[in-house]
Amino acid sequence: MIVEESKTEKKKNLKPYVEVKDLVTQFFTSRGIVKALDKVSFSVYPGEIYGLVGESGCGKSVTSTSVMDLIPDPPGRIISGEIYIDGFNIIADLNKMARIKIKSETDVRIRRYKKAIKRHNNVLSKIRGDKIAMIFQEPFLALNPTMTIGDQIMEVIMLHNISSISNSILRRENISSGEVRNFITEFYSINDETQKRKEVNNFAASYAIQEFEESILSLLATSDDKQYIENEILNMVRENRTGMNIQNIREIKGYFDLQNDIFQNTLRLLQAERNGDSSAIKQFNSELSKLKRIEASSFFLLRLKLKFAYKYVMKEYRKEARRRTLELLTLVNIAGPEVVIDSYPHELSGGMQQRAMIAMSLASNPRMLIADEPTTALDVTTQAQILEIIKDLNKLIGMAVLFITHDLAVIAETCNRVGVMYAGNIVEESSTIEIFNDPKHPYTVGLMSSVPRADKKREKEIKLETIPGTVPNLITPPSGCRFHPRCKFAMDICSLKKPKLVEISERHKVACFLYSDESEVE
Amino acid sequence: MELKYYIIRRLLVLIPTIIGLLLLTFILLRAIPVNDLIANYVNQKATPAEKALEKQQAITLLGLGQPLPVQFFTYLTDVANGNLGNMYSAYYNGGVLRGIELFLPVTLEIAIFTVIFSVLISIPLGTFIGSRPNSVSDSVGRVFSLIFYAMPIFWLALMLQYAFGKNLLFLGSYGLPINGQGFPIQQVGFVHNHTGYSYSVPTHMLFIDAVLNLDFPLAVVAFEHLILPVLTLSMTVLAGLLRFIRAGMVDTSNQEYIKTARAKGVPEKLVLKRHIRKNALLPSVTVIGLLVAGLLGGAVVVEDIFQITGLGRLSLAAITGTSGNGANIQFFGVAGTVLFFGLILMLTNLIVDIVYAFLDPRIRY
Amino acid sequence: MQTTVSIFKRGTIQKKRHPKVEDAKETIKLVVKNKVAFTGLVITAVYLFLAFMDQVYPAYLGFGPNIITSLLQVGGQPNGKFPTPPTTVGGWHLWFGTGLGHFDIFPAMLASLRIDIGYSLLIVLSGAIIGIVVGSFSGYYGGVWDELVMRITDIFYSIPFIVMAIAFTTILSFTFTQDNIPISGFNLIALALIIIWWPTYARLTRSITLSLKSSRFIEAAIASGSSRVRNVITHIIPGVLSPVFVQISLDLGSIVLVFSTVEFLGLGQIIGINYYTPELGNIIVNGQGGMLLGYWWPIFIPGIFLLIFTVGINIFGDGLRDVLDPKMRR
Repeated sequence: MIVEESKTEKKKNLKPYVEVKDLVTQFFTSRGIVKALDKVSFSVYPGEIYGLVGESGCGKSVTSTSVMDLIPDPPGRIISGEIYIDGFNIIADLNKMARIKIKSETDVRIRRYKKAIKRHNNVLSKIRGDKIAMIFQEPFLALNPTMTIGDQIMEVIMLHNISSISNSILRRENISSGEVRNFITEFYSINDETQKRKEVNNFAASYAIQEFEESILSLLATSDDKQYIENEILNMVRENRTGMNIQNIREIKGYFDLQNDIFQNTLRLLQAERNGDSSAIKQFNSELSKLKRIEASSFFLLRLKLKFAYKYVMKEYRKEARRRTLELLTLVNIAGPEVVIDSYPHELSGGMQQRAMIAMSLASNPRMLIADEPTTALDVTTQAQILEIIKDLNKLIGMAVLFITHDLAVIAETCNRVGVMYAGNIVEESSTIEIFNDPKHPYTVGLMSSVPRADKKREKEIKLETIPGTVPNLITPPSGCRFHPRCKFAMDICSLKKPKLVEISERHKVACFLYSDESEVE
Repeated sequence: MELKYYIIRRLLVLIPTIIGLLLLTFILLRAIPVNDLIANYVNQKATPAEKALEKQQAITLLGLGQPLPVQFFTYLTDVANGNLGNMYSAYYNGGVLRGIELFLPVTLEIAIFTVIFSVLISIPLGTFIGSRPNSVSDSVGRVFSLIFYAMPIFWLALMLQYAFGKNLLFLGSYGLPINGQGFPIQQVGFVHNHTGYSYSVPTHMLFIDAVLNLDFPLAVVAFEHLILPVLTLSMTVLAGLLRFIRAGMVDTSNQEYIKTARAKGVPEKLVLKRHIRKNALLPSVTVIGLLVAGLLGGAVVVEDIFQITGLGRLSLAAITGTSGNGANIQFFGVAGTVLFFGLILMLTNLIVDIVYAFLDPRIRY
Repeated sequence: MQTTVSIFKRGTIQKKRHPKVEDAKETIKLVVKNKVAFTGLVITAVYLFLAFMDQVYPAYLGFGPNIITSLLQVGGQPNGKFPTPPTTVGGWHLWFGTGLGHFDIFPAMLASLRIDIGYSLLIVLSGAIIGIVVGSFSGYYGGVWDELVMRITDIFYSIPFIVMAIAFTTILSFTFTQDNIPISGFNLIALALIIIWWPTYARLTRSITLSLKSSRFIEAAIASGSSRVRNVITHIIPGVLSPVFVQISLDLGSIVLVFSTVEFLGLGQIIGINYYTPELGNIIVNGQGGMLLGYWWPIFIPGIFLLIFTVGINIFGDGLRDVLDPKMRR
């Protein structure tokens, strides 16, 4: 079934969450330079599932890894382009990080600048996992074999969600009767059962008292006496906070808030540097050094403690993180999360591993997920379940998904919009319905007619066709349009110039001279 | 599978290997004509009457003249009773097992310090250079480890002896005084030519004993004597470990799960510490067995050059025999030391395997 | 269904390829391009050349039988002359000075290469052949024989190499003399080392065999009715060769070291190798007596000479391994 397009209609005036512009990624190998991506541009809007489809070796995975800037270096590098994640261009400093001197195809000298790379990595580590998460094709390889599933998921929470944990713990410790009263009145004002449950859930989550969720619910169901309920809840929470060192938690919260300030300041500084605004640079620099002074003076002891006794100092946080982990595992339909959380990856089946991966990627509530062929290595029934989970998450949380696959059926099943890739280019981009019903680019047409389809019964006489030839060698890609050697409709210009991705109808883009003017070249 | 069952299975595999090892030493002993074997057992300096008696003893003890399986069984009981035969050489005279008992602590002390020294250096250094492949420090580290890996250990020992031995008086013999004949067990320990100190308790390892007895002047002397042998042996062990750790680091860095860690937003420092280093160091536990083998082999050479009275020289002495011209190979000495070295190594490998199974959750499956 | 078939057909029309030849060409190209590995290759080649020259053109470089006899002193004893230090005066044979017993070090070292490298090659190649045959058959057939072979290799692995080498050499020497079988000292060491070296290759071969055994092309061969022996010979052994070759190039360095160490420990004399026989371990042990008198060069120079060879062959082996590693090719 093809997904309805209704939701995407709204997105016209939305800002894209991830925007990739003219991305060029290359690999420098002993056989030559592999021009893996050649000016790839696309955008993913909040809440949509964007599919990238193409033959193997067309650059889908390189695209997804490039978006996270995870291309292994050596041999690969992003050469040029822009990748905006939530409005911030993560690769604006490419030239500051490395100079590439190409002497010949097989002799490339790269000079790397350590300081810039280090700063780049520091900034990116706050973005990766937090704003955008990723799951991989082979979950067994993608999970650390010597860490338990729980530790791996908790790691994400401990990296990105410290302040939210601090807040909920502090709120729990200082819970006031007024707050509880507010919650109760709010609860009684709702009529819908599921909404009521959600309200209790929210309340429990924001005060880190999920273990009482069930008892609060039954309390609310059995009693009508608001005062009694209020007292009960307060007692319940207060009894549980024995032995909690509030001072300690405040200090840790202060430290991580400061870390966050430093990061925000670094971002501002980066932006100022890119704009060349010297006064702003000066201002942010001085602010940054001020913050770092505070870090060095006020948190000297805490930093020492964190360095040598991390697990002990953070034990309250780890407890909370573990609880959240259990919740995440339940969210992705893992049976027996209490057992799974302490098991090692090799003790789980492939489907379970992929679920754990998804749980891990959700741990910090990212607004976008990159799914790099998440179902390819799984068997068919598990595939369907994993797809279902991803779709549900997209619907429930409104998480955007960049879905990469070679499987057209999966695309039809899950995606709102589709980009078709061929040899490092996006050749066509449109809504899923249009791609299937009205493909424009000769490659897409070939792709569509090479799979059997149930919804095209009337064209019984049409046989399954193949696209002649094979995927070109990207060390010496064809000139002009990279598809022209295999194209039935190839013209003279196709081998000379590269067509631009142009909009031929509303939100349907094609890069082909059949549909565009010869002037529209790159 | 639980760790318990893994250990039991591992122990079961050990049994045929030990029997095989005993068979090997048995074959070594029986490859030799009976007369030579008996001559080996008998103290050549004894009176004719004693000789005749010892000869008779040897024949009954070895089960000579009986079918081979019976002989093998006799050999097994001998070994179980600690009777590995006798050996006579310029280095040591007496029972082979007693000799091993006497000389083991000296070799063990050197081995312990070598392992500590090389592990302490190779782990930080290996992770450092392995985390920045193809950098300048990596190239230096690689060249260093390659050269020491490829270096003849006897040549290195000689060169160190030449460079430091003369000036620093490190050349004095270290260990027991050997007077050709056996000596009372109470004297086991150290007698230094210059000071006349004599130590035996409690470990029979000179430096450790000196420290335990709070005799620091002696400890300093003992330490000086340890420096060159330990340095020589460490260089080769270290080079091997360094290569292995570096390769492990590079290999682990290319794993998919490291990409996952980065995608999770783990900072580079933690990626290195928490994800790469742990996974890279785990397999190096497995090479410890190989390194101990190299170490014991190296001990033979180093003890020979630095005139250390240890186990390595005992095995060499068994081969050189009384006269030193090869006319009198001490077969029991050869078989006994081979057996003992084999057992040590098997034990090491057993411990290594168990530790590895304990550390790496995957191996138990 | 003409679908997938046509893709393959079109793909292969372009040009006929010889994958093995291309692979070998690529390997050579990559080794040559890898500077370190190429240096190793050059060093190895030069040493092999020198060792070879000794046999073919004894007169050409001025050493050979003549020099060896000149090393032999009257009565087999040192003539008491003190070593002379390295000098550029008086001909190339004095470049590295003379040793204790007054033999010229440079020609002696060159003469040593034939024995050191020649015997090492013999040991490694014989060990490899035995190991490949034993390992591939036991790995492919499995069962009791496989278990037996593994236990035997376990035993060999559990004894320190040097200890085993000297023990086997002496005991072999003793049995050979007892049975009046004439065998030269070096042949004896070589025989002992082959006996203890093959398990390395047997294990390596076996592990590769096990992974090859479950691969598709073996399944296909079995399905087409190919016999087991045939499978091992035509499919397994060729697949094993390239990793074994890498192992050989890495082992050659170690075996030269072991060979000279055995000599150094004085075993040569026990098994009847002449004191002045040009062999690097032997030359070094001969120089040992003069070391404390300040004569460093009779030890230092042969050691460096040996070191350069072992380093060279090691970096060549390392480079070869990297090049043959499919991960590095991409």
